[in-house]
Amino acid sequence: MSGAGCGKEYGKFVKKSVPFFGWGVLCGLWVTLKNFITSYFRKPDEGGIFTVQYPEECLPDFEASRNFPFLVYDETPEKPRCVACGICERECPVKCIHVLMAKDENGKPLRRPAAFDIDYSLCMNCGNCEEVCPFNSIFMDHEHKIAAYDRKDLMRPMQKLLKSNSYFHSIRPRDAEAIDRAIKEAAEKKKAAVPAKPAPSPEAPKS
Amino acid sequence: MIFDPVFIRLKALFLDLCARFFPEWVVMLASIVISAVVILVMGPVIMMYLTLLERKLLGRIQNRYGPNRVGIWGLLQPVADGIKMFIKEDIVPAHADKIIHLLAPVVTVVPSLMVFLVVPFGNGMTAVNLNIGILYFVAISSITTIPIFMGSWASRNKFSVLGGMRAAAQMISYEAPMTLAIVPVIMASQTLATATIVESQGGGFGMNWFIFTPWGLLGFIIYFFCAIAECNRPPFDLPEAESELIAGFHTEYSGMKFALFYMAEYMNAFTLSAIAVTLFLGGWQGPFLPSWIWFFGKTFLLVCVMIWFRGTFLRFRVDHLMGFAWKFLLPLSLINILIAGLWFLTPAIAAWALTAGLVVASFFVFVKLNKTFVPEKRTYVLAD
Amino acid sequence: MEILTLAAKIGAYALMTGVLLFALGVVALRNLFHSALCLAAALIGIAGLYLFFRADFLAAVQILLYVGAVMTVIIFAIMLTEHLSGKTTIQHNRQSLPAFLGIAALVTVIAKVILQTPWPVTQKALGAHTSVEGIGTALMTVYVFPFEVISVVLIAALIGAVIIAKRENPS
Repeated sequence: MSGAGCGKEYGKFVKKSVPFFGWGVLCGLWVTLKNFITSYFRKPDEGGIFTVQYPEECLPDFEASRNFPFLVYDETPEKPRCVACGICERECPVKCIHVLMAKDENGKPLRRPAAFDIDYSLCMNCGNCEEVCPFNSIFMDHEHKIAAYDRKDLMRPMQKLLKSNSYFHSIRPRDAEAIDRAIKEAAEKKKAAVPAKPAPSPEAPKS
Repeated sequence: MIFDPVFIRLKALFLDLCARFFPEWVVMLASIVISAVVILVMGPVIMMYLTLLERKLLGRIQNRYGPNRVGIWGLLQPVADGIKMFIKEDIVPAHADKIIHLLAPVVTVVPSLMVFLVVPFGNGMTAVNLNIGILYFVAISSITTIPIFMGSWASRNKFSVLGGMRAAAQMISYEAPMTLAIVPVIMASQTLATATIVESQGGGFGMNWFIFTPWGLLGFIIYFFCAIAECNRPPFDLPEAESELIAGFHTEYSGMKFALFYMAEYMNAFTLSAIAVTLFLGGWQGPFLPSWIWFFGKTFLLVCVMIWFRGTFLRFRVDHLMGFAWKFLLPLSLINILIAGLWFLTPAIAAWALTAGLVVASFFVFVKLNKTFVPEKRTYVLAD
Repeated sequence: MEILTLAAKIGAYALMTGVLLFALGVVALRNLFHSALCLAAALIGIAGLYLFFRADFLAAVQILLYVGAVMTVIIFAIMLTEHLSGKTTIQHNRQSLPAFLGIAALVTVIAKVILQTPWPVTQKALGAHTSVEGIGTALMTVYVFPFEVISVVLIAALIGAVIIAKRENPS
């Protein structure tokens, strides 16, 4: 940033002429003095102080950064996208996901989870669950300040894991839009294909 | 000038109060104890805040904020550091000479505190106006090698011993030009007492400082370089060069002992700057403001220059360091004594022309004589 | 005031005892480095005694020359000879008895001389507040010849040191 500029300037000073012994030393002093003074009013990208005072201010998260998984619902938390297929549970390398499929009174499985727990203390943020999910239901969150005093506090039940699609849009707009579009296209195709072939699995291509 | 003698009046008031209730000897003792306590408190406090100042300024030079978490602007950072130093484990190497290892940091602090005695902090604010003030300062600062030796030898560590050796060689070398740079000032003021030296720089709005003469300027520059070398600050920090010697003579120290070494170093930096101000920058002389503000302002300015040097310069190489002292500063300071003599013998304008010309001429002559030794270029067979 | 005088007296005797103890340490301690440190402490103590007798110039010069310069060189030499500094050496041999007798004789003679010399205390000497001016005037007037001779000796030593330290020319 400013270092390269200073170096160039210093070289300019020295190469031009060396009037007397100690000139280079004085040039060096001038460079540091200037840096000291400009640090008070220059902006970070102009060679000022670029320290970010962490707990108060944060650098913006990158869109693709990933921390811990969460579940997406579309309209209300009662209707999550998740169908409790259990693929993420199987694929999770550290086995931190536990899914239980809901059943009606006859014992017939419903296509939604009765329980969906993730142990954040085990999770290693690999993102495999996001990649394998065929229903675009589980995604990696940006929230990272989840420290707790007790291990139990890191167990996340379904109520805490469920977050709205608009939240997903707010943290990862590009991914969310692509997925929404894909879901809509799939739904239209399905509607068009209903007379010919009943009930294909709602598979949507991943973004 | 109502604020000028405020500290002296406070002390006199207190002593008056004492005299009403106690016999005479108590008053005398109290007068000594007050000065002693003020110095004993001021030294460490100055050291604590010099560390903060140094970290702040260095941070700004390197595009950082420096410590700003503990208290506003990090003002309580030195206190936090102190607490940390107190509760750290005190490690003594198994083969160390236990007693000397313990004594060395304690002894280190003593000379740096003793120098405070003769520093004139303001008009009439010298703790003891010794009539050998400057000689006392030179003598006391020459002791500082011995505790460094003690620490380095008692640690039984090769890095410590190397650091101690370097410290001794460097301090002996730089003491000679430093003392010789002081001589013209003694010639000009015809006294060794620090307070009197300051008084002789008064007149003309209190701006008749010695630095405004050719010999004074040269003397100040020589003195200041030597002062930086004396307190082992960069670019003369060879005795504690991190990249070569870990921490030099205090490699094997931790906790409060380590802090004591640091305390001595920073108090030395302060007192050497204070003496430089006394000798060349007119001490507490200056227009309009109270004397002690002038004194502390000038001293902290010099300390800031030291920090600025630290933020700018690279470490010397050992042979360059020695060469700089013996082949450049020492002859220059000898010539400076001669120039000062000429200054007093010749009338005003002629003296200016003559001495300024001599200063410049001798500077260039010594630069020419000190041509850097450039080893012949090495060629590598495989590189071609 | 009597209390202060008494305190000063006690302080002076304590200082003298300290100097004697450290001087004993120089000859009795088995570690060379400890001996050297004791010597430094004894020299500083002697400077303190000078200060006590109002010879502050002498005290400062004592510290500057003996503690600052000579002691540093001694310790430097000890540290450079590594196998000396680590070992403990016995500081006496079979000649200790004759040496003790000789020293005792010397001390007796010196003590006798000191006791027999009249030490004149002039009012002028007591009234002088600065010892520096008198020394300076004496060096530049009465004792100017010895002063110059000493400077010649020092120059000779300097030149000798440079010649010894100078690298031999290979050709």
